[in-house]
Amino acid sequence: MVEAVRTQGLYKRFGQQVAVGGVDLIVPKGSFAGLVGPNGAGKTTTLSMITGLLRPDGGLIEINGHNVWTDPVSVKAHIGVLPEGLRLFERLSGRELLLYSGRLRGIPLEETGRRADELLRVMDLLESQDKLVIDYSTGMRKKIGLAAALLHNPGVLFLDEPFEGVDPVSANTLIDVLRRFTESGSTVIFSSHVMDLVERLCDWVSVMSRGHIVAQGPLAEVRGERTLNEAFLDLVGARGSGDEGLSWLGSSGDPR
Amino acid sequence: MTMLFVRLKLRLILGNLRGDLIKQVGFAFSLLSALGCALGGFVLFGLLRLASPDVALNVGIVVFTLFTVGWAVVPLLIFGVDETLDPSRLALFPLTTRQLAAGMFAASATGPWPLASLAVLAGGVVALAEGVGGVLIGLVAVVLQFALCLVTSRVLTTALSGALRSRRGRDVLAVAAVGVVLLSQLPNLLLNRGLPGDPGALLSSTGEVLRWAPPGLAAHAIADGGLVGVAELVVLGGVVVLLAWLWIVALRRALVMPDASNQGGGTVRRSWIDRFLPQGPLGGVVAKELKYARREPRGRVAWFTAVVVSGIIMFTLSGGDGPVGLFSAAGPACLAALLIGIQACNSFGIDGRSLWMNAVTFSSDRDLRTDLAGRHLAMAVIAVPVLGVISVAAALLAGNAAWAVPAAFTAWGLLGVALGVGAVTSVILPYTLPERLNAFSGAAPGQGALAFGSSSLGFLVTGALALPVVLPVLLGIGWFGLLAVPYGLLVAWAGRKTAGLVGFARLPSILAAVSRAT
Repeated sequence: MVEAVRTQGLYKRFGQQVAVGGVDLIVPKGSFAGLVGPNGAGKTTTLSMITGLLRPDGGLIEINGHNVWTDPVSVKAHIGVLPEGLRLFERLSGRELLLYSGRLRGIPLEETGRRADELLRVMDLLESQDKLVIDYSTGMRKKIGLAAALLHNPGVLFLDEPFEGVDPVSANTLIDVLRRFTESGSTVIFSSHVMDLVERLCDWVSVMSRGHIVAQGPLAEVRGERTLNEAFLDLVGARGSGDEGLSWLGSSGDPR
Repeated sequence: MTMLFVRLKLRLILGNLRGDLIKQVGFAFSLLSALGCALGGFVLFGLLRLASPDVALNVGIVVFTLFTVGWAVVPLLIFGVDETLDPSRLALFPLTTRQLAAGMFAASATGPWPLASLAVLAGGVVALAEGVGGVLIGLVAVVLQFALCLVTSRVLTTALSGALRSRRGRDVLAVAAVGVVLLSQLPNLLLNRGLPGDPGALLSSTGEVLRWAPPGLAAHAIADGGLVGVAELVVLGGVVVLLAWLWIVALRRALVMPDASNQGGGTVRRSWIDRFLPQGPLGGVVAKELKYARREPRGRVAWFTAVVVSGIIMFTLSGGDGPVGLFSAAGPACLAALLIGIQACNSFGIDGRSLWMNAVTFSSDRDLRTDLAGRHLAMAVIAVPVLGVISVAAALLAGNAAWAVPAAFTAWGLLGVALGVGAVTSVILPYTLPERLNAFSGAAPGQGALAFGSSSLGFLVTGALALPVVLPVLLGIGWFGLLAVPYGLLVAWAGRKTAGLVGFARLPSILAAVSRAT
């Protein structure tokens, strides 16, 4: 198995709180990998450290065999990133954002323009390509962010919550593009807490809880005989007790 | 119900302070200054009693009017500070419009600054009232005047709340805020240039006009203290009730109006300049920076301020008995260069949370250097012609057009020095610019000291480094200006080189520092 991403003992602390406490993440090359975990499990922190945006306190990160923090030249040209929170250059139009991204990567202007046109068409953003990103809806932002991350044809793509707040039509577009991308042998790693989606898309799953990887491997192995959702709830040790208290809630009480 | 709103407001004030020492200190400071203003304002206003009744009345009228205008304008400029101001947050609660109006009225009267205003207004009674009737009418007039201030401010914020929530509205307002701050410099400038006519005549003519506006009626009623005063109070009361009614109507409308904040704005034209810029990251950064200087309100505000402030200085220096000779031409140009250059002290601040997009492409210190060079180039594209124009204007005003040449060269050199120093401060002292621009703060909560440190360090170091070439020119040795440009280019290059080496090593810290929540 060739590994696209491998971390060893990845560790990060914010003040007293250990956000990521020794993560050994493995993602095989060419896989569509899901990184799942409850809120606060350390998914975003892990992805930020792997993509070189947050300095780890300890541990090793390799992408395609190159160390991210000691050998950034061999890594940064080959990865694409869509971070959480949709932080884009708000005062550029969608098209300008793509052109800017291409220029930063040193792609010739004509080539960038051609790729941008195609990406805008596939993402169904042609109509709003000259609007400022600040006026985009959530789904449009995710799509333009993904387009910017794909523009330089990266070998490994990191997406933090790419489907959060995206309408079903846009989500479908995103999924189609990502499927085509992985079928060609490229790798996608995305974080999510929508289990159905991960189950439908991914062939590799890493489950995080409280700063650790609690399960990792091919989807079939991780979920076993259960659905992924059940497996996940067992793994993170959270079975709800929604039937205690709240006696006033429901049609038997007064709306007051 | 009204008390609930007051408690909500107090809770919001307290909740805002929890667990943040700098905010607590800031609030204590604000509280003390409100107290100081209340006492000082009350006493000063009261001391007007010693002046002649006519002057006292006119000053009283002007002060009352200024308070009303201030109450109308200031909350608009710092909209978003107070959560009780936004009626849409309360739309889902089962409240009648009347309850909502009474509650929000009470909430806006709560807080250190409203109470300080009330105290200062009460000084008007001391200043103007004659006899028992005057005092009685005065107390009512002050309360009505205070109500007028509150209601006016409510009507405006509510009527404009739709526009204030939309992106375009906030953009316009951000630039308008600077206009107001600069307008406040206008009297200063006029006094400097020597005013036609004496201040006394100006005061009485202003007072005569404003006397018939509602705040003027209140002040006049206190001084009158008789039946005319009572009649004026009735009119004033009517105005307050009318405004309150307008406010309720606006409130009712605002609660059911669609939220305009998500409606798309227009499209932008595709820029043709891009094709003439260098390929690769350098040209990309230049193109982006030029667009940001135009589209980002904070960018526009910074440029606008730099140009207007230098203009003001230029006129002040040239008028009357200021310094003469080359200094009066090179001085304003150099000051403008410094003011423009200081924007570069926190180059990454304007990118803020989107800086990661550049950061993921930086694989060596060279890339960071290229990025900074792009920012410098973009700034030079705008600043070099602007400084040229300012130099020519200053030289013409100073009376010798030839002075424009050394002035412009010196200013360009100084800009280069400022950019070089700014590159270094940008990587060692980066800070977050607030998302919403307001006229009273230039940094995210808790980073004010950092912002102050960054720009004062930038000023000091730039001044010290530029002194060898700028000082001779200011002293009248014009040809020294020729040395300034190569010197400036050298310092800018050295600054970028240093910033690249230092900044690349601490890129994650820079990212974190400019991406703070505001």
